Amino acid sequence: MTIAAGLDWTNLLADKVALITGAASGQGRAAALLFGAQGAKVVVADFNDEGAAETVKMLEEQDSEGIVVHADVSKRGDVDVMVDTAMERYGRLDVLYNNAAVQMSGRLVDCTEEEWDLTIATNLSAIFWACRKALPHLIEGDGGSIINTASTLGLIGSEGFAAYGAAKAGLAVLTKQIAIEYGPQVRANVIAPGSIDTPRFRKVLDKTPGAEKFVEQLKKGIPVRRLGEANDVACIALFLASDMSAYVSGAVIPADGGLAVYR
Amino acid sequence: MTMLEDRVAIVVGGASGLGDAIARRFAKEGATVVVADIDEPGAKVVADAIVADGGNGIAVPCDVTKSADVNAMVEEAASIGPRIGVLVCSAAVESLVPIVDLSDEDWQRVLDIDLKGPFLCMKAAIPHMVKGGGGSVINMGSTLGLIVAPGHPAYCAAKGGLVNLTKQAAIEHAPDKVRINMIAPSATTTGLFMKHSAQAPDPEKLRAQIGAMNPMKRLGDPEEVCDAAVFLASDMSTYLSGSVLPLDGGMAARRIV
Repeated sequence: MTIAAGLDWTNLLADKVALITGAASGQGRAAALLFGAQGAKVVVADFNDEGAAETVKMLEEQDSEGIVVHADVSKRGDVDVMVDTAMERYGRLDVLYNNAAVQMSGRLVDCTEEEWDLTIATNLSAIFWACRKALPHLIEGDGGSIINTASTLGLIGSEGFAAYGAAKAGLAVLTKQIAIEYGPQVRANVIAPGSIDTPRFRKVLDKTPGAEKFVEQLKKGIPVRRLGEANDVACIALFLASDMSAYVSGAVIPADGGLAVYR
Repeated sequence: MTMLEDRVAIVVGGASGLGDAIARRFAKEGATVVVADIDEPGAKVVADAIVADGGNGIAVPCDVTKSADVNAMVEEAASIGPRIGVLVCSAAVESLVPIVDLSDEDWQRVLDIDLKGPFLCMKAAIPHMVKGGGGSVINMGSTLGLIVAPGHPAYCAAKGGLVNLTKQAAIEHAPDKVRINMIAPSATTTGLFMKHSAQAPDPEKLRAQIGAMNPMKRLGDPEEVCDAAVFLASDMSTYLSGSVLPLDGGMAARRIV
């Protein structure tokens, strides 16, 4: 189970099957490529089929293996099919990385019921559904790992993220619950990213007036004085996915350059 | 491929327990290891084993409660050549005495070694890391710094204090590319836990009971702590600072931390 000293850093996920949601871009894609490079077969789940296909193409170009699964994780039926497809294709599941999320801004009184429902469905219920469906398979394997992406905004309050913050905080505790309930066979941990420079982050930024100044302000509030990169998060996910973290469960690991420490 | 080449790693408390295991592992990952400990013969055993195994390691005596000792140890580490890239603060003592029975002397001793020790070591080593372009500090905390258990007042206070000292240091030195994180292990099959549990009427029974208390239903293995230490020491975790990584089979997830 544990990693022998002097291990081969080139094959940390040999023979493992990893399902990553939201893997069509950003953090999910970076993790897919890193996991693939470390020997995993990657199930690339996303509702963006084009981006997911591109991720699989990139996997193939680096001689890794992966498949596309269409999944809108806010729909329970899609989530069930996603797990079933992974099992049909590869016959096992070792890593479930729930990375897909929506981020809608809005102070509480401005948050519509539709925004609330979609945020809770995508960022919280989807993870419940995926874990419920995948846990029996993870238990069957040897040392399953669940990685759930929360957010700095699930650890601290921040103006304008009522639904998002609630969903992410709920996700963190759901993960601890899973860690305790399925302890011996399955590990479950949270990554809590701060400001990560991904296509989604840029999309939000494009709509922000004075974006450049905003980013500079943002950096000033991050102890390491830079935005995160998708690969920063992927490396932490690799640690959690692999047997390097065989005794880590129920943990919340920030990927935020120290941001949450300020609060 | 190794993870810690071209750097000196100081492992304080490296003569025994988790420090010993981490020192040996860091050497395997290519670091030049300074095994610093008040137990000089013990430190030498570890350093010699590292060298015998084809690695680079030296033993340096160090009482972490004395700033002169700590400064001299760090200066010696700095004189080796490669930059000081890693500092692990693993020296610790425990005192299994409830508050009302705890003597001033025991309280002070635990606080000095477990909390002031890391302070003095960081104070001495961080300027060298800054000069070298960055580094990674790993403070060894404990599950007992996150949640409490009866009978460990001094240890819990020291390790709890170390959590916030770690975060404080992380914020102060993040712009210098010095990352400071904590590993918080629960009972592992080495070090203080094995020493203290050996004094129980039935050590194996006690160990099994304590192992069964956590969600993974077993004690931790020192090699598992080493895995996490390599992760935090290496460039795998370059955006991670001020964090507390529990190495506890899920134990702390039961409580508010």
